[in-house]
Amino acid sequence: MIHIIIKNILVLSVVFMSNTVLIASQQEENIALGAKLWSSTCVRCHNARMPQELSNNAWEYSMNHMRVRAGLTGKETKNILSFIKASK
Amino acid sequence: MKWNYLLLSLLCMGYSLLNAEPLFNDRSIELSDKVGLQLSGYAALDYQTQQNEKSPFVGAVFAPILHAKYANIFQFEGELEITKDNRVGTNTIVEYAAGTFFINDYLGLQVGKFLSPVGQFVQNQHPSWINKLPDAPLGFGHDGAAPSSVLGLALRGGLAPIQNIRSNYTLFIANAPVYEKAPDGDIIINAEGRFTPSHGRGIIGGRYGINLFNSMEIGASLASGKITETINNGKLVFRDYKVVDFDLMYNINSFDIKAEYVKQTIGTNNQSTLDLNGGIWRAYYGQIAYQVDHLHIEPVIRYGEYRNPEINYSQLSLGCNYLFTSSIMAKLAYEFNHDKLNASPQSIGNSNTFLMQLAIGF
Repeated sequence: MIHIIIKNILVLSVVFMSNTVLIASQQEENIALGAKLWSSTCVRCHNARMPQELSNNAWEYSMNHMRVRAGLTGKETKNILSFIKASK
Repeated sequence: MKWNYLLLSLLCMGYSLLNAEPLFNDRSIELSDKVGLQLSGYAALDYQTQQNEKSPFVGAVFAPILHAKYANIFQFEGELEITKDNRVGTNTIVEYAAGTFFINDYLGLQVGKFLSPVGQFVQNQHPSWINKLPDAPLGFGHDGAAPSSVLGLALRGGLAPIQNIRSNYTLFIANAPVYEKAPDGDIIINAEGRFTPSHGRGIIGGRYGINLFNSMEIGASLASGKITETINNGKLVFRDYKVVDFDLMYNINSFDIKAEYVKQTIGTNNQSTLDLNGGIWRAYYGQIAYQVDHLHIEPVIRYGEYRNPEINYSQLSLGCNYLFTSSIMAKLAYEFNHDKLNASPQSIGNSNTFLMQLAIGF
């Protein structure tokens, strides 16, 4: 009985850890995509503003504004925000 | 003299903003987990002196923009444009006031008065801290060849990339523009979003933009519908109205390239008291700027033409900007103006202009 419980705990731990690694890896990928979009999309219209220039809250409004003006998808908007927040 | 003091004071205030940036760092107010407000916008101080004009033009623009959001599903944005100058005085207009519902990843529904989705200058370049020169290209200002704003609704968003090529779209339905005589006597297309009776007639249009390279966008816009005109007895008459626009934005290796062509065509109406024949309002410009990063300077050159049934102007602009930060800059420019229908060197259309501007985006 104890063996079964320990085995199940080990299996669950491995699943949890691999899921955490997958999420972290996905976040890194989103940040990398966001960095690429930030460097290429913003400068088409205006000088790029550095992530440090605005607070995270203020960036959320600005990115919604830019989602409309620049024709970004929701995912592209989130990726750019992820990059901005990770850059501070 | 008092204008000089005002200009000097505002320049000093602008310069002091350089050291006050942290004050603007968090300008949002979170009313709850989902609801909040944010203030942003831009401001500018202008000085222009033109040949054959007795006194220089001195003016200031303050354009606060309010954003209000509900979670990530709705955002309202409204811009007031408050101008004060030594020719018109004080003027305040609602540049836009519209809400967008983000329906899904690729679709937003925008409702209200919003900047015309036709082309890119009016919608994306007009704020003074974004525009590389102190004024708009010929024909791209208010009542020119390019529509300014519309009152209606739009479906817009980004499309899923195809083989890494991104693209975006806008489809809109809006109020009919107005064909009228301006206070200076010129016949204009008043393509502003406003509540004008039009008996259900309006315009439908859209823009498609494609990013062939990461930092390049090519756009094509079309709109079609009716334009209204009020004749002497107050009766409303209609004409056909069509808009075509092509635009380009490209940023590569510190070079910033922009170009746009717009044409508005007005049909005929034999009941008109303004002009029976209608006509074509056409403008285009091409602009190149280069940022010398380590010196913080940015030379700019722009050439543009604007033609309608009454005028035919061309303009070559040479400018140089000093960038204090990415959104605070001082601009100097000299414009060579040419009136193709009037050879007189005394005419306004042939008068060259020197321009200075301090622009701040916040």
